[in-house]
This record gives sequence, C-alpha cells and structure tokens, in this order.
Amino acid sequence: MSRIKITEYRAKKLILGDAYQGISFTEGKTALPKTGRFVVKVDQGIKKRFKQGLVVLDVPAKDIATVAVPWKKAGFTGFIAEPMLPHEAAEEQYLSLERVRSGIRVLHAREGGVDIEAHPEKVKSYLIDPARPQDVPGIPADFLRHLLDVFEKNFFAFLEINPLVVRGNEVHLLDAAALVDSAGAFFVNGAWSEEDVVTTQAKHPVEKRVAALQKTTPASLKITVMNPNGSLFFLLSGGGGSIVIADEAALKGMGKDIGNYGEYSGGPTREETHLYTREVLSLVLASKAQRKALIIAGGVANFTDIKATFAGIIDALTESAEKLRTAGVKVFVRRGGPNEAAGLAHMREYLEGARLLGSIHGSDVPLTMAVDEAINFVRP
Amino acid sequence: MTILDHIRSGKRGVLVMGSHTAIVQSMLDFDFLSSKTPSVIALVGGNRKAQKYFWGTGEILIPCYKSINAIPVSLKKEIFWMLNLQSGRRAFESSIAFFESFPDALGGSIFAENVPERHAIELIQRFGSRKFIAGPASVGLLVPGSLKLGAIGGVDLFQVKAASLATPGSVAVGSTSGGMTNELIRAVVAAGKRVSFAAAVGGDRFPIASLTELFTLAEADAATKAFVYFGELGGADEYEIIELIKAEKFTKPLVAYIGGVIDEAFDEHVQFGHAKALVRQEDESARAKRVALRAAGVAAPETFPEFLEALKKLSHEAINDTVMDIKPLMNRQKSILSTREITNVEDMPGKKGSADSFVTVALGALLGRKIQSPVTKELAEEIFTLLIDHGGHVSGAVNTMITARAGKDLVSSLASGLLTIGPRFGGAVNAAALAWLSGVTDKKDASAFVAEWNKAGEPIPGIGHKKYRVGLPDPRVASLAKFAKRMKKHPHYDFARAVEAVTTGKNGSLILNIDGVLAALLLDTLAECEGLKEAELKELADAEFFNAFFVIPRTVGFIAHFIEQKKNDEGLFRLPDELLFVRGKPSSKKGA
Repeated sequence: MSRIKITEYRAKKLILGDAYQGISFTEGKTALPKTGRFVVKVDQGIKKRFKQGLVVLDVPAKDIATVAVPWKKAGFTGFIAEPMLPHEAAEEQYLSLERVRSGIRVLHAREGGVDIEAHPEKVKSYLIDPARPQDVPGIPADFLRHLLDVFEKNFFAFLEINPLVVRGNEVHLLDAAALVDSAGAFFVNGAWSEEDVVTTQAKHPVEKRVAALQKTTPASLKITVMNPNGSLFFLLSGGGGSIVIADEAALKGMGKDIGNYGEYSGGPTREETHLYTREVLSLVLASKAQRKALIIAGGVANFTDIKATFAGIIDALTESAEKLRTAGVKVFVRRGGPNEAAGLAHMREYLEGARLLGSIHGSDVPLTMAVDEAINFVRP
Repeated sequence: MTILDHIRSGKRGVLVMGSHTAIVQSMLDFDFLSSKTPSVIALVGGNRKAQKYFWGTGEILIPCYKSINAIPVSLKKEIFWMLNLQSGRRAFESSIAFFESFPDALGGSIFAENVPERHAIELIQRFGSRKFIAGPASVGLLVPGSLKLGAIGGVDLFQVKAASLATPGSVAVGSTSGGMTNELIRAVVAAGKRVSFAAAVGGDRFPIASLTELFTLAEADAATKAFVYFGELGGADEYEIIELIKAEKFTKPLVAYIGGVIDEAFDEHVQFGHAKALVRQEDESARAKRVALRAAGVAAPETFPEFLEALKKLSHEAINDTVMDIKPLMNRQKSILSTREITNVEDMPGKKGSADSFVTVALGALLGRKIQSPVTKELAEEIFTLLIDHGGHVSGAVNTMITARAGKDLVSSLASGLLTIGPRFGGAVNAAALAWLSGVTDKKDASAFVAEWNKAGEPIPGIGHKKYRVGLPDPRVASLAKFAKRMKKHPHYDFARAVEAVTTGKNGSLILNIDGVLAALLLDTLAECEGLKEAELKELADAEFFNAFFVIPRTVGFIAHFIEQKKNDEGLFRLPDELLFVRGKPSSKKGA
C-alpha cells in the first residue's frame, strides 16, 4: 500500500547475494574487519548523504568505528562499511528502476555521480516489460536481467544505483537506494522484513508511543506533532476527509497553529481508540497556547461504526476531563457514518455533562463545519 | 452501450468473494428499497452452504460455495460482477480466478487495501482494458436505483435513505478516496441533486480502472450531465483529466476539490492516508494541480465550502424521488433456524382428491418438489417395499428386539434399532451414491476407480455381500435392476455395473449389493425423470438424502419387530453362556 525504504545493506544483499562484502553495524558489537580500506556510510535511507558528510571514503580498517562516532552522537544508529573500490570519476554511471503502470521504467546515464540531478538531459529512459526485457546500452545484459528478476521477486517499487561502475561484464554497485512495496512483505518469504525497513525517527515522545501502538494493531494509527504549542488539535478519522479538514485550517491562515496531524482509521477497537486519544489529549494539555480546541472530525464513513469509535474517545476524555476543563479546552465534532445518530447522541451527552462541548454535528452539515467553529473559538 | 446502461437494464448480479456481512446486507437493503431483485447471487468463502440475510422485513438464504468452480451453471448465468472483499494476500489470485471463470463479466471491485503494486499491474495488463475494475482499496461502484457494488454510499439504512440512493440522477461522483466518495454523494444530495453513478477508484498508486476510464465512462453516459471530483496531492492523475479535457474527450461540467494544501505547513512531507499522497515532485502538489485544472477551465475552488457552492450551481433535471420507507426495516429480528413448508396442506388427500401414495408424497417432501414421473414413483414404491425388513437376524432388528425385551417403550426400542444403522448396516446407500457420482462426474475409468479405493485401503460402498455372490444373486438387486431398462440413459447404473465387473473378477462375493444398486438407480431416475442437475444430486448426497431410503421403510420393519416382541413378552433377553467367548477368565490364568 505504500513504498518504504529498506537499508542499502539489505538491498545490495538481495541483488548480489553472497558476493556482497559490505558489513552492517549498529551499536559497535559487530566484528569489524582488521585489514583493508573501506567506505563507511550512514545506512538509514538518507538522501544526499555525501553532501551531508555522512559518507567517508578510503577508511583504514582500524578507523571504521572511529568514523561512526560523531554520527552516533548526532543520533544515527545504522551504518555500513564496504570495501573501497578505487575508480575514475569518468567510470561512474547512473541507473534506476521504477515500477510504473505500464511496466518498469529504467533510467540510465553514462555519467553518474552526485550531480546527476543537474543534468537530466544525459539520462535516457527505457520502458521495460520484465517478462520480455530489452537491452540497455552500456549495462551488461545478464546483470540487467538479474536486476529485473530481483526487482520483481522482491516486490521492489524503486531502485537507484548511483554511482554504478561497469568494467566489461563486471559490475560494481557503489551506492544503492531501494523502496519496496509494503504490501509485498507477505509474498517475499522473509527476503526482506520489518527489520530491514528504514523508519524516519520519531522525534516527539508521543510519536514514539503511537508508533509502538501502531505495531500492535491492523488498524491505522498515525500522528505527527507539528507545533507542540499549537491551538488546534485533531482527532481525524483518516482518508481524504482528514486532508480537507486540515486544509481548511491552513486556508484560514491557521496552518502554524495546528498542533498535530494524524489519523485513527481502519477499524480500531474501542481500546485502541482510547489509547490513541489519550496521546492526543496529552499534546493538548502540554500546549502553552492561550486558547485550545480539540477537533474530532471526519467524512461520512462507509463502514466504520461511529458509536464504537466514539466510545473509545469518551473513555480517554473521561480520564482528563478535569484538566481539560481547567485549561478551558472545548471539543468540536463533525462526523457521519453507520450508527451516526447513536454515536453523536452519546458524545453530545458526555461533552455537555463534562462541560467540554464546543459544538457537535452530523453528516447534515459540511465536512469543514467543526474546524471552522474551532478556529473561531481559538482565534484571539 | 456502457457498463452503466448494462447495469440499468438488469445485468446487476454479483458474486461476493470473502465475508463482510454489513456490506452484503447494505447491498440487499439498497436492492429492496430500489424495488429490485436481490443483486447478490452467491457468496464464495466459508464452510457454510448458505448465509441468511434480511430481504426487506423477511429473510433470504444466499447460497455459499467453497470455490468459484463449485458454483452451478444456472447461477453463473446471472453473475456479471465481482465484489472482492478478501484480504490483500488473496485478492489477486481470487480476482484472476473470477475473470477466468466469468469471461463475460462486466467488472468488479476490490476492497483490500494492501494489494501489492505488482499484482495491481498484472490485473491491469490482463483485464484492465476489457473490464471495469474499481480498486484495489475501493469502496465500490454505485448506480442509484440499480446497483450498489460494495460499501459505497454507506452500510446502514439511514445512509441509504439520506443519500436518496434509490433515485437515479444526473451528477457523477468520483474520487480516489472512499470516504470522500461518500462525502460527495451526500454533498450532491444536500445540493438538491441526485447521483447518476459514483465510483471510488481507490487510493493506491495503480488503480485498475484509472481516472481516465472513469471520466471516459462519465462522458459516454447519457444520464450524466456533470461530474464532481475529489483528488489529493501526490500522483499525476489530475493531469490525465486535463489531457482528456484538452483532447475534448471529456466535455461535461466538472467541479473538483484537490486536497492537500496543508502539506505546505509541514517542514517535511508527511505520508498521508493514501499510498500516492507522498509528494516527491512539485507538480504533484495540491496547489499545482488546482492551478492546472483551472487553466483547463475546471471549477477547482480554493476552499471546501466554495467547492460546495460551485457544486450547487450545477444544473440538474427535475427530481422524482423514489419513496423509501425504512421504518419497517428498523427493528428486524433475525430468525435462528431456516426451513421450508414440507407439505402443503392444500395438497392433502381429501381436499383435492390427490391420488399420490404415501411413498410418492414422502419422496416429494424430501426433495422439496412434486414428483413428476411414474418411473420415479414406481421405483420409490419398490425400494420402500423391499427395504421394510430383511429378517430378524440383522443387527438393527436384533437391537430393537433386545431393547423391547428389556421392557422399554416403542420410541426407545425403535431408536436403538435406528442407531444401529451405519456404514456396515444399511447406511452405505449414501456413500455409494457419492461414489457413483464422483465416478460419473469425473468420467473415471472403472478399473482406475477400483484401484483408487484399493490404494486407500477402503471397501467400495455398495459393493460386496456376506451371503450373496456371483452365481447366487441377491433377488432384490435383480428385481430393482429392471428399472434401468425404463430409462434412456443410466450412467450411474452403468458405472456401478462396470465397477462390479472389475471387483467380481477378483472375488465373487464383491457383487453390486442392494445399497449400491438403489443408489445408482435413484441417481439416474432423479436426473432423467425429475430433471435434477448433477450439482443438485451432489447437494442431496452431501445432505445424506439417499440413506433416507433405508431409514424410512426399515422404521416400519423395526416397529413390526417391536410389536411382535411386546405381544410375545418372553422376558429379558440374555445371551446363553456357551455363545459368549470371554477372554482372560480367572480359571484360565497360568502361574499368577
């Protein structure tokens, strides 16, 4: 369903198999080589590594660990060391494969390297049917076929090798980046797994806790903290409706006041909704903004039961009701879908009783009504 | 003729693969409220033979099959659509199986969200140009008043009513997002218009039916006068629409909202709900798409409220709403058992002077249909007569008599006899029917068939007798065999005889026995004289129907034995010591 990055180490291992001589190391416990010269890199799917100083060339074996020390201090955790391949800059080529609607789009340039994006005119494009691969001049045919095979078998979505050094039939992959299709995980028989996936680091403790919660459920629970001292906090039920609601805040000039973005969707249970809501409420309470609003909003659901999900939200609101009241927080609701009337009635009764009600609407008003009213409430 | 015209003219039968009762029920409620016949023809998946759903305030049973291959031809003819509700792990294979089995199907919808891109592309290559397949990750296709293929439009009755889904209109609704498709359907109705058709192509990177196909369909649909669209940041789909407009392949008024300007408020791009909402290039931003659409003459307002205003301005034709009364459907109570009327009181003798015998009426009750042919009637008559009793030696009769002698009542004694019926006594008729059915259906060779059973180490049901053998035939078998001559074709009987020819070649006692011959003749008669299809015969055998031909007459025999024992009243029965071999008697112990 989405394209996710895997480590360079795993990507190369899938392509080269046992011939790959790179070593992946994290906390320094891995046995590092004693002799030879190496390229040492941060292996966390970061773009433009070289320009950011996250690659060091020609490192003697004894210095591998030392090179990684400043990176560790900066918070990086995954590294690789690969045998150094001395080569001329003129040997560097660019090769990428991307899955597109009509096959696999191969981009190739005889001149590769870090500045490739500045020279799009040098890139040649080929559309290849993996079942009947054609040749790409400059790339050994056997290698290209093998690459397409690995790409297909492992549910790759994108693969970039830059630079690529070709010497006769010998091919060297200096740097590689790969995106795989997360939905393919079931079909690859462990060729790559969750452990190989590069995740963007959760910066905020709430993001870390929601990420941990996400791992325990098939539902979709996501959160990004945008402004810890924002005034608008969202409990959004996902999909296009969530985007429209957040758009409305941005279009009304409140983009910088949005505290969080995220979603609880895909049929979370009452308990999961409770735990997710608790995290959003902790953000609301921690924000130093003068006036704060919680917006519980979403489109007209096709099949999510409104009554059931609202029960979990009420569980969490109940825990913090006193603090929310003291902080002057009001709750604004707009939601529709199965069991809408019962869910809304339950929520209204609770919010009125807890003196937290800003406004509450069903599917008979526009999607953006609750967020508009919340903006009017928080606006100085 | 577009697929929409086909749907409106009645090609609306759906095969549902996978399980989601709320969605299936909502489709049936939609059909009922639209005064149509049920669109859900059959279900695939699960181990049941039928699932019960509400049909209005009543109930219907929808047949379930383990696989597509098991669906009978008569039902296959009614199926034009696939609703695939299976998980992303199975959706690919089952969709291929569907379209291979239903080459004339019009299309389908795939609900699963985690279908791999590679699988979606293969489906596009194999079926994309010939079928309209919404998804993956689609809530479906909706043609108001005609077909609700999936969760689209909501799954509860209030939603079906609130969106006036029974009334055909003139505004088409399309989106990648399922939730927004529903939101827009409601927005169209709130603006005083009705929907001509709606579809969610799904939020995946490679939807099987593309936006180009969706817009081309809207252009070709005479009922559609305008289009309302919701898109998101990411992907290049909206540029496809612009190309269509520029090429004048889409000429109807279009109102569009492109969500995702919120992305500008983030430092880094955030992955939104849908796979392709990961912005990687500037021209995939919401802002750029809005500008490009406006340049092509599309109404693409800045805010959602403005979008709703623009939607209101679209012209529409006069609306004549279909009245939907959902009140009677509200507090429906599901029954917990399903049955049919076994006998019709109107048909009882005396009322109409029916000449049918008890046996004929009984057989009709078991089959759930009136018996047509005199051959069937006579065969049943003969079987029932032959099987009333086979002497007091047989195990069921012995048990009945022993129980009667122990002082028990009629029902206890009869039950004791009936409970003796099983694989070695009387209960092999059904097993024989299953064996002959498999032989004929799979066009098996008799020798190969026998070899198969031998290999499994199992005796063949319907073959072999303790007393009768070649040269000493069972008179009952000979008597029944004459019925074969009264039919044009008798494949099951022929197969049973061919098997007998193989088995008696090895052992003279392995003859076709009474169970075997009556199973074969019943199959042939029901097929030729009563018009039952092979699948129906299989269904009967799976329900152990053929054993009833032993149980019913033999009940009479057991009761006769019971009555006789009661009349004689010889006291408690006990086996004489000399007829009992007791192992390990204390006296026989050595050296203990």
